[in-house]
Amino acid sequence: MPADTDTESQQPLQEFLAEREEVLRTWSTGAEVDLEEGIAYQLSIPPSRRFTRVLAEADREQRVLVQPRAGVALVDEHIALLRHLQGEADLLPTTIDAYTRQNQYAEAQKGIDRSLQAGRSVLNGFPAVNHGLRQCRRVVEAVNRPVQVRHGTPDARLLAEITLAAGFTSFEGGGISYNIPYAKKVPLERSIRDWQYVDRLVGLYEERGVRINREPFGPLTGSLVPPFISHTVGILEGLLALEQGVRCLTLGYGQLGNLVQDVAAVQSLRELAEEFFRLRGFEDFQLTTVFHQWMGGFPEDEPKAFAVISWGGAVSALSRATKVIVKTPHEASGIPTAEANLQGIKATRQIVSMLADQVFADESRLAAEVDLIKSEVRHLLKAVLDLGQGSVAEGAVRAFQAGVLDVPFAPSIHNAGKLMPIRDNQGAIRVLDPARVPLPADVADFHRERIQERARFEGRKPSYHMLIDDIYAVSKGRLVGRPR
Amino acid sequence: MGPDTIVLGVVGADCHAVGNKILERVFSDQGFRVVNLGVMVSQDEFIDAAIETNARAILVSSLYGQGELDCEGLRERCLERGLEDVILYVGGNLVIGKNDPALTEQKFRQMGYDRVFRPDSDLAEAARALHEDIRQRFHALPVA
Ligand code: B12
Repeated sequence: MPADTDTESQQPLQEFLAEREEVLRTWSTGAEVDLEEGIAYQLSIPPSRRFTRVLAEADREQRVLVQPRAGVALVDEHIALLRHLQGEADLLPTTIDAYTRQNQYAEAQKGIDRSLQAGRSVLNGFPAVNHGLRQCRRVVEAVNRPVQVRHGTPDARLLAEITLAAGFTSFEGGGISYNIPYAKKVPLERSIRDWQYVDRLVGLYEERGVRINREPFGPLTGSLVPPFISHTVGILEGLLALEQGVRCLTLGYGQLGNLVQDVAAVQSLRELAEEFFRLRGFEDFQLTTVFHQWMGGFPEDEPKAFAVISWGGAVSALSRATKVIVKTPHEASGIPTAEANLQGIKATRQIVSMLADQVFADESRLAAEVDLIKSEVRHLLKAVLDLGQGSVAEGAVRAFQAGVLDVPFAPSIHNAGKLMPIRDNQGAIRVLDPARVPLPADVADFHRERIQERARFEGRKPSYHMLIDDIYAVSKGRLVGRPR
Repeated sequence: MGPDTIVLGVVGADCHAVGNKILERVFSDQGFRVVNLGVMVSQDEFIDAAIETNARAILVSSLYGQGELDCEGLRERCLERGLEDVILYVGGNLVIGKNDPALTEQKFRQMGYDRVFRPDSDLAEAARALHEDIRQRFHALPVA
């Protein structure tokens, strides 16, 4: 049974250090990184700018923290953006551009140069690797909130080296959640392996008294992903991180839109993670949750977008998530201006504060939905772990190969893409066809029955058309994609 | 004569897959033979596929905002590689930020794209336009 230090799944330290040397040579700015210096710098950061501290306090006080996404090409502009947001935000991001996410640093450089010329950002995020450690440090020092790296990078080894040494105190992602939704051909073995490196690095900081928060990306494709799929992936990534020495984890979930399902999802996520972490022999960890406001297609009309944002804020408060990631009124159109971003944060903060003292009341329906998700996740996780014969990493790889884990609408060729989700008559995500994903027989029947109920109501058969109507529904002003 | 072949894909380092899967379905249903290259497609991959399959049109999507960088030069590259007549369509969230759609359209028309589509475009209409553009460019016989 794996214990708190898991030597079996860890690379020998000497090998890890040799690999580090190679990683740091993959782009010129890697040369600036010195682990000892990075640790010393991290130790000098005051608690008010440490993710783990702010999360722990909020968790204790049952407060929901508010965090935006944000990133532009140039350093001074990025600093100005974060400063514009920090008054209303509890936690800050640095969202990384898409070239850096694919390790295309030469392309990112072109984007930096073009942004300089154009006088506006032509990149969709902050190219942290190209800017390098010293410039990244200017970012974390320019603000008075903790800053997290948010991205979507299958191989984030160099990005982690640079940003952690620079003083970022949280790092989003994982070997599954930053591959399957974000890549096309990267083998899962490869990305899991590269994320074990990242987690090992975080573990080394932890050993030296520097606690870095890690956050697996819960929403996956943000497109009708049933909670049992995203929970299973999140818990697997949590286990993979714990094995490498990570101790502070925030597990995530993307809002789906049905109130009961969403509240149940956040509650069950936390309880299931506790359960499985302990079951696998881990006792010493700090666990929190993050709720992402609706991650699918948004309405273009800004007042309508505010409604979606506020509803997400409301549910984050009712579900007692530790933090909420906010969207903006520009979501359907493009990267938000600083002003639009701030508006999303303000709308969210208002509703979260108004609901701070209220609890979700429909106890019996909530309990039933929590039980449902728990039985699904236990069944699925057992199947995955059995496939791995003791190894979490191998279990995950084999599960995707076999279609036992299957994420709707994912671009990766290593994902089966056969599971078919559809909303039920009240908008909860159910599965019409689980394909190769194992669900207990009574649970699979329940899902189909709920979809049949909708089909009867709409007078049509459940089909691909219904699924497509669901994909467009929120952007067109509803939750359930009714026939047009 | 069989259905016209078109090449479809999401350009650059862009991973947005949902619209791509729907476009494949709709354009197939509307009578095209669709060669879907999926996400993260380079300009040369589009062109290789178009040459290999003798495609009439290339449909480029870009959602993630870096389309301005990724879409530039495709027309020139097509000409260089001997694709003189191929129809180029582009659609999605083409530039960074919320912008005037008319300016975006102008920018991409200048790059040599025959039509430019916004994210909320009616796909059946787009398919009709494509049938018509193909008819005019490839099938319209000179009056004897
Ligand atoms: C879901 C989503 C995601 C998911 C994608 C999962 C996946 N693998 O598919 C996740 C969470 C992973 C994701 C990640 C990112 N995303 Co995203 N995402 C969205 C979101 C919310 C919905 C997209 C969607 O699926 N819509 C539903 C489908 C049906 O619509 P569609 O994609 O628009 O496609 C239709 C049309 O565009 C049109 N169309 C498209 N191409 C063409 C071509 C032709 C010829 C025609 C006729 C029509 C046409 O027809 C399609 C079908 O109807 C949009 C915002 C929104 N729309 O609300 C942002 C959005 C597209 N994402 C955005 C960004 C920037 C990113 C990231 C880079 C992260 C970041 N910096 O914020 C990363 C991507 C990294 C990478 N390497 O690509 C930005 C782009 C900004 C811009 N252009 O200025 C958007 C607009 C959000 C925003 N406002 O910031 N995203």
